[in-house]
Amino acid sequence: MNTPATQHVRWDLDYDIHLGSTWGRFMQGLREKKILANTCPECRRVFVPPQAYCESCFVRTDEWLELPQEGVLEVFTVVARGFTGGPTPPYVIGAIRLDGADTLLIHLLRHTDQGDDGSRLEVGDRVRAVWAEDRSGHILDISRFEPIA
Amino acid sequence: MARRATISGVGMTPATSPSKQSRSVIELCQEAAWAAIDHAGVSPDQLDAIVVGNIDGFEGTVLGGKHQTRLLGLGDQLPLTVINTGGTTGGNLMQVAARMVRSGAHERVLCLGGPTFFGATDLQSAINTNSPMIVEQPLGMGAYHMGAFAASAYLQRHGIDAAALGEIVAIDHRKGAANPLAHLRYEVTPEQVMEGMQLSTPLTLPMVCPVSTSACAVVVASEEAGSASGHPTALIKAMGTSSDPYLGGGKGDFAVMQNLAILARRVYALADVRSPRDEIDVVELFAPYAHMQPMQLEALGFCEPGAGVDLMLSGATDRDGDLPTNMSGGPKCTNAGVAGELAPYAHVAMQLMGSAPPEIQLDDVRVGLAHGTGGSFFQFENLAVLHRIGD
Repeated sequence: MNTPATQHVRWDLDYDIHLGSTWGRFMQGLREKKILANTCPECRRVFVPPQAYCESCFVRTDEWLELPQEGVLEVFTVVARGFTGGPTPPYVIGAIRLDGADTLLIHLLRHTDQGDDGSRLEVGDRVRAVWAEDRSGHILDISRFEPIA
Repeated sequence: MARRATISGVGMTPATSPSKQSRSVIELCQEAAWAAIDHAGVSPDQLDAIVVGNIDGFEGTVLGGKHQTRLLGLGDQLPLTVINTGGTTGGNLMQVAARMVRSGAHERVLCLGGPTFFGATDLQSAINTNSPMIVEQPLGMGAYHMGAFAASAYLQRHGIDAAALGEIVAIDHRKGAANPLAHLRYEVTPEQVMEGMQLSTPLTLPMVCPVSTSACAVVVASEEAGSASGHPTALIKAMGTSSDPYLGGGKGDFAVMQNLAILARRVYALADVRSPRDEIDVVELFAPYAHMQPMQLEALGFCEPGAGVDLMLSGATDRDGDLPTNMSGGPKCTNAGVAGELAPYAHVAMQLMGSAPPEIQLDDVRVGLAHGTGGSFFQFENLAVLHRIGD
């Protein structure tokens, strides 16, 4: 069978995304080793990452609080295949319910290339944030979460 | 005055992989569009609008819908609406067209979904552009990784062994193998699925959809205009859409499809469906990952939470069961982007009209349910109940 005729086309684009005041404040908190959340004035749910509006009540959120840096691992997946530009697999990503939060924070667990294939993790584990040495106001200022021994 | 809208014609090209596809996007779109208007029994000058879908970025285009429409050969007087809602674009085409017809502004609207998983050499990277770029993408969170969260949570919640996912894929492939329009037309064993390349636990490569190329088109017409087709048509009895919170963490519970369950209640109420299992004769679900189909069957009220896998294993969703589901093989066997998202509506409409490929046509089906979904962790859901009319 003949190979279909194709021609290579490439997009090579970089973007600067304006975080705005809500995520800007959250990222500044991470730089200072603080996990900041905000609260809906009507339903009182606590959002992390924070959000400017409550998606259930459709009202502006305006109260801020600092959350503990520990919580419960509710679900995770061990990644064998990543994607171009992403972390090098294997790695583990999970959803963490920080103490006091109503939403889940998605984050890395251990990098499995550090000698852990994720098999020691269990749903329900208590986990704690591990901070990066160099922080720039980025979600990876928390380098990962790890189980509390 | 508000009118009823019906699907009166369907056109769909056989699917294949990008590496075997010898035709261009526009050539596939032309074939599907002309097949649909031919099936609907209308001429191009009887169309009064076109709704076309594309997903910016996936194909290296930002005006894909516009240029496709100019080149269809359907004339230059067709008002054009471009729908660009990511993974739900295909399902939304039909719903937008139906609103245009129901409003009384249009008689016959062509919906066109082209192949949009066609050009990207690294499709995973293209798809990942839709995940929230500031707080989720940097974590190595792509499409099937998000899927893996739900799969993992669902299995854990109900104590289901991951081997069940292998059984589900084997069922889908049996159906896809019989459908001449499907892309993956081979059978697999549950063991082969489990032994496939690991992607992200518990998902292996055979548990996720292929990258397919095909085009799909449907004509949505007023009930009166649809009757000119000379065959039964698929009345759009009720439809709706619903969406999740934007961030994955806002979902709260990955083990249930709460958003779809809410939408189903709304659409069933509009269609006066009180007992979905008893009243619906044919179902097509957009289930590109193995765990999605049982979770969707549960959310749609066909069985209790946690019973979706057993429902499939019981044979109820097979051809001779009481709830034939994804007789096309579903997106697990064919996923051509926007064309693949429109496909559930097209397949259900064909079943109701008696126009499905003979190998998969069911006998005596009168009420169908078609579903679409897409997004990132953030899922839009779309759903419609269709009735056979015009016998």
